[in-house]
Amino acid sequence: MTFDTALVVERLPQMLAATRLTLGVSLLAFVLAVLVGLVMAAGRRSRLVPARALSFVYVNVFRGAALYVLVIWLFNGLAVATGILLSALTVGVLALTLLNSAYLAEVFRAAISGVDHGQWEAGNAIGLSRWDVFRRVVAPQAARIAVPATGNHLVDALKDSSILAVIAVPELMFVTNGIAQTTFRPFELYVTAAGIYLAIVFVLSWGLRRLERRLGVSGTRPVAPVV
Amino acid sequence: MGPGEQAETVIDLRGIQKWFDDNHVLRGVDLTVTRGEHVCVFGPSGSGKSTLLRTINLLEEPQRGSVRILGVEYGPGVDGEVGRGRAPAKQLRQHVGMVFQQFNLFPHMTVLDNVAIALRRVRGVDRAEAEERAARQLRRVGLLQKVSAYPSQLSGGQQQRVAIARALVLDPDVMLFDEPTSALDPELVGEVLGAMRDLAETGMTMVVVTHEMGFAREIGDQNVFMDEGVIVEQGGREIYTDSREARTRDFIRAVL
Ligand SMILES: Nc1ncnc2c1ncn2[C@@H]1O[C@H](COP(=O)(O)OP(=O)(O)OP(=O)(O)O)[C@@H](O)[C@H]1O
Ligand SMILES: [Mg+2]
Repeated sequence: MTFDTALVVERLPQMLAATRLTLGVSLLAFVLAVLVGLVMAAGRRSRLVPARALSFVYVNVFRGAALYVLVIWLFNGLAVATGILLSALTVGVLALTLLNSAYLAEVFRAAISGVDHGQWEAGNAIGLSRWDVFRRVVAPQAARIAVPATGNHLVDALKDSSILAVIAVPELMFVTNGIAQTTFRPFELYVTAAGIYLAIVFVLSWGLRRLERRLGVSGTRPVAPVV
Repeated sequence: MGPGEQAETVIDLRGIQKWFDDNHVLRGVDLTVTRGEHVCVFGPSGSGKSTLLRTINLLEEPQRGSVRILGVEYGPGVDGEVGRGRAPAKQLRQHVGMVFQQFNLFPHMTVLDNVAIALRRVRGVDRAEAEERAARQLRRVGLLQKVSAYPSQLSGGQQQRVAIARALVLDPDVMLFDEPTSALDPELVGEVLGAMRDLAETGMTMVVVTHEMGFAREIGDQNVFMDEGVIVEQGGREIYTDSREARTRDFIRAVL
């Protein structure tokens, strides 16, 4: 068998265009997942019982959901049950957000608990409000704890976005499937697709390592003052 | 203080009771501290010294008892009757500074920011003035040269002195110390006790939980021996040489 380089070169622009959607969907879902994850983590720590209950249920339902099932159900099942019709793209972003936010809520909750209780006490003892203790004292330290695991979820969201091919979101995997079926050269095309995913993950990981270093996650160098 | 002049009461605790679940940790403690007084609290491990100190600034909420600071009630009252009439803890902390055994400095902030943050966020002082006032407190504990260091770059003794400056910057009416030297290597104890001695000499009102009996004998105007959640004996410096209670004598003999 020969490797059809010409085919790859010819189809690469089309695949890179689809990669933009892959990046767009996964980055958007990740940003939303971080926001929802923060809200849910706050809910788990709230003094209000309904807030705690709600976020407990949310986290445990969506952490337990399989992405593939969630995607199919949101795309087909939801319409049947409620008449709500979502576009494939919306379903894609929604599913990735729900799943990752449930995991991130746990990451954030653990990171906040990981900050020494003495930090809360010291903040309270100098008269800071509960919010200021969180915002100025606890959150910056929790952020350092949370960065590596949070970064992993960004990488996961990127790779998981390939599942959206099943509902015809025209991202990298869907477009690659299409080209492979019409050209009968699956080997070259899937190797290329894999290479693109790998390259993005490589760049993301590099960026995350830089961020970790800047925040002093792995070393001892502290972050810039936050007062 | 001249004759007939009444010293102002800074702390007035009445009938303090505290339970952790079934564990009755404070069983009715009364304590009055007047302005400028230096109170030393000692006693065996688990006797409730830290819990008592922490109720003074409401890091622990007593279930029963009156916590009056400068005449204002912050506690639930002796029979739990105060209810909604009590003042908020945040107000109390404007008057009471606290130094912890484990320092509890904010590791992500410089020494200067550790001290300045309360002025900025609690008092709303602008940055330039907050930093100047923070620097003044750091000079007082001999650490002006460390303003831009991070806590992890300091020795334990230096960290504890920063913690003292952090508590002093709000100009509290009383300073609480919970075994401020017990987490330190022996050779670093002296510098922290030195800073506390200087503070005592300025007339600062202080309540110190300590196992440093030598230091307690030196500064303690009122000395309190606790055991099993009650004050067994309290008095002037004579408590260290001829205490009335056998339990006090046994404890002092054991630690000296
Ligand atoms: N947060 C807490 N939750 C449950 N129990 C606690 C808590 N803090 C203290 N206790 C219990 O209260 C009792 C008194 O503790 P406290 O720390 O006040 O003693 P202490 O006199 O300061 O002792 P030490 O000399 O060891 O510091 C102990 O039995 C302790 O186990
Ligand atoms: Mg203690």
